Amino acid sequence: MDTGRTLSRRSVFAGGAALGATAMMAGEHILLPHAASAGDAGDALAPPHRPHLVPMHPRVDQITDIKVCIRPFRAAGPRLDVERIGDKTVFHNYGHGGSGWSLSWGSANLVVGKVAATLNRKVAVIGCGIVGLTAALTAQRAGFDVTIYTRDLLPHTRSVRANGSWTPDSRIALTQTAGPAFADQWEQMARFSWATYRTYLGLPGAPIMFEDNYILSDKPFDDGPARPAPAGTPGRMPRATEDFATYGSRIRDIIPAVEDIPAAENPFAAPHARRHSLMIYNFGAYGHLLLSEFHQAGGRIVIRSFHTPQDLTSLPEKVIINCPGYAARDWWRDDSLVPVRGQTAWLPPHPEAPYGLDYRGAALLSKTDGVMIQAVDLDGLGEMTGVGNSFEHPDPAEAARAIGVFADLFARMPMVGG
Amino acid sequence: MTMRTKGTMAACMAALTLGMASAAAAAPCAELAHGADLYRTACAMCHGTRLEGNFETPALTGRFVANWAGAPVSELEAYVHRAMPLMAPGTLSPDDTRAVVAFLLAANDLPHGRTVRVGARTRSACPS
Ligand SMILES: Cc1cc2nc3c(=O)[nH]c(=O)nc-3n(C[C@H](O)[C@H](O)[C@H](O)COP(=O)(O)OP(=O)(O)OC[C@H]3O[C@@H](n4cnc5c(N)ncnc54)[C@H](O)[C@@H]3O)c2cc1C
Ligand code: HEC
Repeated sequence: MDTGRTLSRRSVFAGGAALGATAMMAGEHILLPHAASAGDAGDALAPPHRPHLVPMHPRVDQITDIKVCIRPFRAAGPRLDVERIGDKTVFHNYGHGGSGWSLSWGSANLVVGKVAATLNRKVAVIGCGIVGLTAALTAQRAGFDVTIYTRDLLPHTRSVRANGSWTPDSRIALTQTAGPAFADQWEQMARFSWATYRTYLGLPGAPIMFEDNYILSDKPFDDGPARPAPAGTPGRMPRATEDFATYGSRIRDIIPAVEDIPAAENPFAAPHARRHSLMIYNFGAYGHLLLSEFHQAGGRIVIRSFHTPQDLTSLPEKVIINCPGYAARDWWRDDSLVPVRGQTAWLPPHPEAPYGLDYRGAALLSKTDGVMIQAVDLDGLGEMTGVGNSFEHPDPAEAARAIGVFADLFARMPMVGG
Repeated sequence: MTMRTKGTMAACMAALTLGMASAAAAAPCAELAHGADLYRTACAMCHGTRLEGNFETPALTGRFVANWAGAPVSELEAYVHRAMPLMAPGTLSPDDTRAVVAFLLAANDLPHGRTVRVGARTRSACPS
């Protein structure tokens, strides 16, 4: 239940001078800054950047779907090498960990560049997750005649069970195992992807958009130097959060910075808050657009399931881009893939509240196809959460805990309702 | 399971009365029963009690049959051993793997030979 004073959305938008006015628009609830809720005269001096946010009331009985997914993690970073099978040349493009959406275009650009050097005109792409689909589109744009061979189309792939935001160095590699050369390659991929995503902004249906994301904390943010990784080399298996690579600082020049929100401007019932502009992917609109683009450019899709690498020799194409994601573990017998389980719960869309939250190990994003709530790290395990876990089966208790984080936050909110 | 078991039972009776040789092409009954048990405990939570699958997990009927048609049964066994159950791949013993694959084939009325032969549909002749 909302408690506290009420205020219309219009008066807040008008500059906050009418604080304390009675509600004018039924049902419109606005969050006011923390300090303002104390009811002191300072209210009238509305800070210029005070966010006016419609609160959310996520509840377990609003769940429309729980999606579980396995991140295809490789300590050395995604597999991008070339292999020969019979008379076929196979260009691998899999193992993008928690960054597959974000790096997809950049990864495709690297791979298609290599494919182009073979002087073939026809290309087969295995897989129609986000990595396969963007590889196929990139190949088309480079002048290739492309056929996708896949067991499932995008809406059924693991890709659409992601969170869907710009997270280019989320469990993408282990710093030591991947080494400095991968860091450079990562930067190239991240920059290329970002630039491509920008071309999908501002389109009808908002396939790609920016949203304010608030990072909240009960304790002051810890900006000290990262703890050192454990001694020794991790090899293929991460041992601790610190083993995971973080490359974000390399692309600081193009990614909107995170800013602190002063206490007086913080509308949340958490004492510490930060905000940044986060790029998000709306799976429905974006997936539909990509598939349409592929078909419009004359692409073909063949539904097919492969069991062994030898199966590829039956394809008419000589050049193959292999994008099976985590399934490479079984179909290409690649044990270097480490499963990292993750789960998202989906609630009905809430377009009046277009913002994201990060709090107490849970994340929330308000997307066109629903409000996404993810248990990122509820138990303080950091990046080790889900590592080695391939139990791709919904855990309703986990969903309830994540939803509870935000239900509790808003229940404690000094909000104003109409 | 009950539906399927009934079908199997009926087939069993039919096979017995007709004295059909098809039972020879099916896996031994004890193995099938063991496979069904394994399926219930290790697979059904994802693939469904009736092998029906869901939006994310493939059904082990229909398209599954098409996917493996013509493939050596050993390849299917190797896949199941290597990849399933998804959260604990490699934990089924070779015997358990054979049993659960025999169960999958029988549940799809496929004979248990060297290859997954779709043309030669057969009913297993085992009591439940
Ligand atoms: C909870 C969670 C949150 C995430 N959040 C984000 C995020 O916010 N941002 C981000 O960038 N990344 C995120 N990720 C990571 C991202 O989802 C993955 O990196 C990405 O989906 C991998 O895509 P893919 O195309 O390689 O694999 P998949 O989506 O698994 O696609 C594989 C394709 O290959 C086909 N295939 C596989 N095997 C065969 C076979 N044998 N025969 C025929 N076809 C086959 C499949 O049918 C499918 O079409 C998240 C992951 C999880 C689990
Ligand atoms: C945690 C969920 C889960 C469990 C438990 C599970 N599976 Fe699966 N299974 C899957 C998923 C998901 C796939 C799709 C493969 C992929 O995407 O990697 C699959 C695929 C398969 C396939 C291939 C289907 C095809 O059409 O080619 C077979 C066969 C299979 N499973 C058998 C089994 C058996 C037998 C068991 C029990 C021993 C089992 N599975 C347990 C989730 C599960």
